[in-house]
Amino acid sequence: MIRFENVSVSYPDAPGPTLSEVDLHVPEGELCLVVGRTGSGKSTLLRAVNGLVPHFTGGTLTGRVLVDGRDTRTHPPRELADVVGLVAQDPQAGFVTDSVEDELAYSMESLGLPNPVMRKRVEETLDLLGLADLRHRPLATLSGGQQQRVAVGAALTAHPRVLVLDEPTSALDPGAAEDVLAALHRLVHDLAMTVLIAEHRLERVAQYADRVVWLPGDAKPVAGDPGEVLAGAPVAPPVVRLGQLAGWRPIPVSIRDARRLAGPLREQLGPPPTDHPARHTATPSPAGHRTRNGRTAPPADTHTGPDNGTPLLRAEDLKVRYGTVEAVRGIDLSVGEGERVAVMGRNGSGKSSLLWALQGTGKRSAGTVSVNGTDPADLKPGPRRRRIGLVPQQPADLLYLHTVAAECAQADRESDQPRGTCRAALDRLTPDIPDRQHPRDLSEGQRLALALAVALTPRPRVILLDEPTRGLDYPAKTRLAEALHTLADEGHAIILATHDVEFVAEYATRVIVLAEGETVADGPTGEVVTASPTFSPQTAKVLAPLPWLTVTDVATALATR
Amino acid sequence: MTAPVRLRPRATAALVISGAIGIAAFGWPLLLTPDAGLAHGTDAPWIFALLLPLVLAVVLAEISEGGMDSKAVAMLGVLSALGAAIRPLGAGTAGIETVFFVLVLGGRVFGPGFGFVLGNTMLFTSALLTGGIGPWLPYQMLGAAWVALGAGLLPPLRGRAEPVLLAAYSAAASLVYGLLLNLSFWPFALGAGSTGLSFQPGGPVVDNLVRLLAFSLATSLGWDIGRAVTTTVLVLITGPVLLRTLRRAARKAAFDYDRGRRAATSANASNTSAPTTPDTDSASAIVIVDPSRSEP
Amino acid sequence: MNRALHPGAWWLWALGLAAVGSRTTNPLMLGLVIAIAGFVAVTCRQDTPWASSYGVFLKFGLVVIGIRVAFHVLLGGIGGPTVLFALPEVPLPDWARGIRLGGPVTAEGLVFALYQGLQLATLLCCVGAANALANAKRLLRSLPAALYEVSVAVVVAMTVAPQLVAGARSVRRARALRGEAVRGIRAVKVLMVPVLEDAFERSLVLAAAMDSRGYGRNAGLPTSTRLLTGALVLGGLIGLCVGAYGLLDGSAPTVAGVPMLALGTVLAVAGLRTGSRRVRRSRYRPDTWGAREALVVGSALVAALATVFSPAGLGGSALSPATVPLEPPQLPLLPALGLLCALAPVLTPERKTP
Repeated sequence: MIRFENVSVSYPDAPGPTLSEVDLHVPEGELCLVVGRTGSGKSTLLRAVNGLVPHFTGGTLTGRVLVDGRDTRTHPPRELADVVGLVAQDPQAGFVTDSVEDELAYSMESLGLPNPVMRKRVEETLDLLGLADLRHRPLATLSGGQQQRVAVGAALTAHPRVLVLDEPTSALDPGAAEDVLAALHRLVHDLAMTVLIAEHRLERVAQYADRVVWLPGDAKPVAGDPGEVLAGAPVAPPVVRLGQLAGWRPIPVSIRDARRLAGPLREQLGPPPTDHPARHTATPSPAGHRTRNGRTAPPADTHTGPDNGTPLLRAEDLKVRYGTVEAVRGIDLSVGEGERVAVMGRNGSGKSSLLWALQGTGKRSAGTVSVNGTDPADLKPGPRRRRIGLVPQQPADLLYLHTVAAECAQADRESDQPRGTCRAALDRLTPDIPDRQHPRDLSEGQRLALALAVALTPRPRVILLDEPTRGLDYPAKTRLAEALHTLADEGHAIILATHDVEFVAEYATRVIVLAEGETVADGPTGEVVTASPTFSPQTAKVLAPLPWLTVTDVATALATR
Repeated sequence: MTAPVRLRPRATAALVISGAIGIAAFGWPLLLTPDAGLAHGTDAPWIFALLLPLVLAVVLAEISEGGMDSKAVAMLGVLSALGAAIRPLGAGTAGIETVFFVLVLGGRVFGPGFGFVLGNTMLFTSALLTGGIGPWLPYQMLGAAWVALGAGLLPPLRGRAEPVLLAAYSAAASLVYGLLLNLSFWPFALGAGSTGLSFQPGGPVVDNLVRLLAFSLATSLGWDIGRAVTTTVLVLITGPVLLRTLRRAARKAAFDYDRGRRAATSANASNTSAPTTPDTDSASAIVIVDPSRSEP
Repeated sequence: MNRALHPGAWWLWALGLAAVGSRTTNPLMLGLVIAIAGFVAVTCRQDTPWASSYGVFLKFGLVVIGIRVAFHVLLGGIGGPTVLFALPEVPLPDWARGIRLGGPVTAEGLVFALYQGLQLATLLCCVGAANALANAKRLLRSLPAALYEVSVAVVVAMTVAPQLVAGARSVRRARALRGEAVRGIRAVKVLMVPVLEDAFERSLVLAAAMDSRGYGRNAGLPTSTRLLTGALVLGGLIGLCVGAYGLLDGSAPTVAGVPMLALGTVLAVAGLRTGSRRVRRSRYRPDTWGAREALVVGSALVAALATVFSPAGLGGSALSPATVPLEPPQLPLLPALGLLCALAPVLTPERKTP
């Protein structure tokens, strides 16, 4: 269905080719997963399928791409619209109209289909994706998962043979991601659709894949059986890593397969020690990529919970109300030095509102907040950020100058710190970001590092991060987790809001689960995440009922036994 | 720099003729002769209010006849949204007019054809969003379109002179725009011959002009000057940064890839084959390089 | 039948009412028009962001009346025997060409100014009713296909505008995180750059999405059709141009006036139609004209005709009550009855679906 023949792509202002000599064949009815680190050319590969590369993006493409027998050299994207449906990363950015039905009909209107056909297909698609209740709703009022399903539906109504999705679940909470993936699964099984997906959150997608293509970036791509290919790649979901560690064959990609093989490992491991001493002394991971060198756990790690330690941040009966919507309804919170707290919950459960209200810049309707005894909302923005820093969901919002160096210099100036403070913080997080680069041209991980460095420059004791792992690949997440470990060890208190259960397992000492603006769970990571299937990491699912959380923990335990 | 909306000769001709019709539509109170059929009825404002939408539709259709590339349409949409989004910021506050500098900068960077369409889409969007459709809308659209089109026709100065040039143009354009809209509203507002400031159908042009100026002075001059000042200040202060941002966007967007492809295939004929010949060997390349990127 | 009425029908209905309003200065008639427009707007409007337009336009209308009267008081105009009071007259230089500032204010002039202000306010109310009733987004879908690209740009703009506002808000909040509360003109610069950069990135993503979904699959028109379109369009524009100037100049031959204007309109519309053929796309659930649309438009047409062609005996003479000398306005019988027909849309209530 999709055939790449010796395809290379290069852009005029890039140092080397973005894709080189890709040979790939995806047969009809397969779900093919494209993996690779950030910047390895995943998006370019996906966009070459419907001719956006190079017709739209510019650049040079050698070799040829055939889709359903059509050559993209002679067919620009618009002429492939009836064969390939493309769903971009941010569904909202790709919406042309503003209501569900109109959006679903847009492709068909462009193809000039007659009205009865359109009516029929819109109804079919509404049913297929479970959107019937939303048909008249304005798109802006839908949740992220609903928007993503509308975007998939909008691509489907043209009845394409191939569906291409670029990170369809990266912005979604676990439940919404399940909805979208279940819909895709149904398309592949019931309609023999050929699906090509690129995704960083492999733990969500890998189990559905018939085939995985790994783009190493600097070598020829590797395609084949999911377990085998992922085992060799630097990006792999925990279940694959666990399989490698335990030496399971074939390497499992789904929880179900792994559990069948996990009996002996469970017996060998036994329950983890109660205070998780292993969790913070990492060993080199099985894939051999860089992780933190061994570090002993700071005392704060074992003393979690509101009663212990000296609280840096304390909030009582915090409420946030927007009009008639109560985003946060009375949250009590106390976070001590060295704590790494993760706030989880569905989209719209009040995570962001909570962080912004804690920081003092966001709205607070009632309650008290104190950071080291001072209410941040009473301070001017300058002094406020010296006590408590926040990295917003879109790190780019913090940045407005034209070079990295200028941003760093500005951060030093506005924080009254000696020159070079911000740059030093940045280099500790991610070295080798060129001074002259435009902040918009950085990768997601680099941009996050820059925003975090800017927030760290005035040396606040409390750091809040809103959804920091969006768009990060596994090595970048590991790196972020390490950086946050180090900060906590230095006596910072860190709170982050996230959907990423694997990251939480790796990073957090304490998890707070919000639902409709209220705390529904608050406790040590191990207890909270294993109690709920939605928030439980893959390792815990495979080894249940034993509460092991990460592959690193298991590896350490095995090594010491 | 490639223009996202090209003006072909036919579109240019349509623009010129529509300009003449526009002058009549705005300026009929001054142009009316005493013995003309319209001089004594109350029909003139109605005829022109109905005529202008048709003229605008025809000219816009003619400009987009060659098909507008999706990037140009998306850019038009985004800039129109920007104008429509910031327009309410100024409404109500005396004379703070935030739309014009977007028009001037947009027309300057993307060219006169784009500017003309932008003026229309921006004002139309704004009216749709605020429920402000009425007989005045075509006049506003045409006026705004002329402002942006004019900005696209300014001499190609660069460097420090550019913001100054644009600021001077903005000031003049804002005042003229205000006067034109007053001219269109004048007969509606005061009725022919009913007050000392009303227009006298078929009266001497100078007399009517003096009355118009007095009417402007009495009603909207404060706003017009406010508009001119805000636009000028905004252009001077934000011009350099926004021009850079807009040009970066224009470069990244690489408008009109089909033309870029032709240029590139002829320039790189040695290692590429034309993409329109499907049966060449599979090792052949498509090169689609934006011409603006290949500039030094 | 739960489909909303064609937005064009509402505009034609409002135009009919406006035609009545423009033909009379009788305050009773004008009040009736305002009342009918308001009643229908409130009864038939749907739950849209524009639904409250009528009230806004009504207030605007009151302001206009105020301005009109103030102008009369200050500048005079129509005189009369009944002097109410006199303002001191300010002498103006010669070049002021007869503009008078201050002076006596007469009851007749005041009533005349009131009538005229009320007439303008009535027209504004008609427009306000149309804005409240017609779904502007669906009006956009009814544009001719030749304007497809432009209408897509407007659709995109309407979708993106709220996103930009939200983006600006989040950037502003983020700026506060960097320790600055930005205000004034500097804020424009500091906020505009990230918002604009974001908007442009968004526009590229959107353009890619549009391309992938078949935007721009246009039918290549044969050269003959293209030439025909060009000839029709340019011919139409020239016709309109000549017609417009012909109307303004009394010395021009009669042919250069209305007939030329009509010819130009026909040619231009024909040009739009042939030009529309290049766009090869269909419309999902297009707005159709049906019996209800006909009823709505017909009712306004009756009202307009009853006013325009009302014989003097049946109220035609009462349409413009005299102000010198002042006389109480009479209700013109036939026009008022005709006007009541314009209430017909209320009889076809729509369900409040968006």
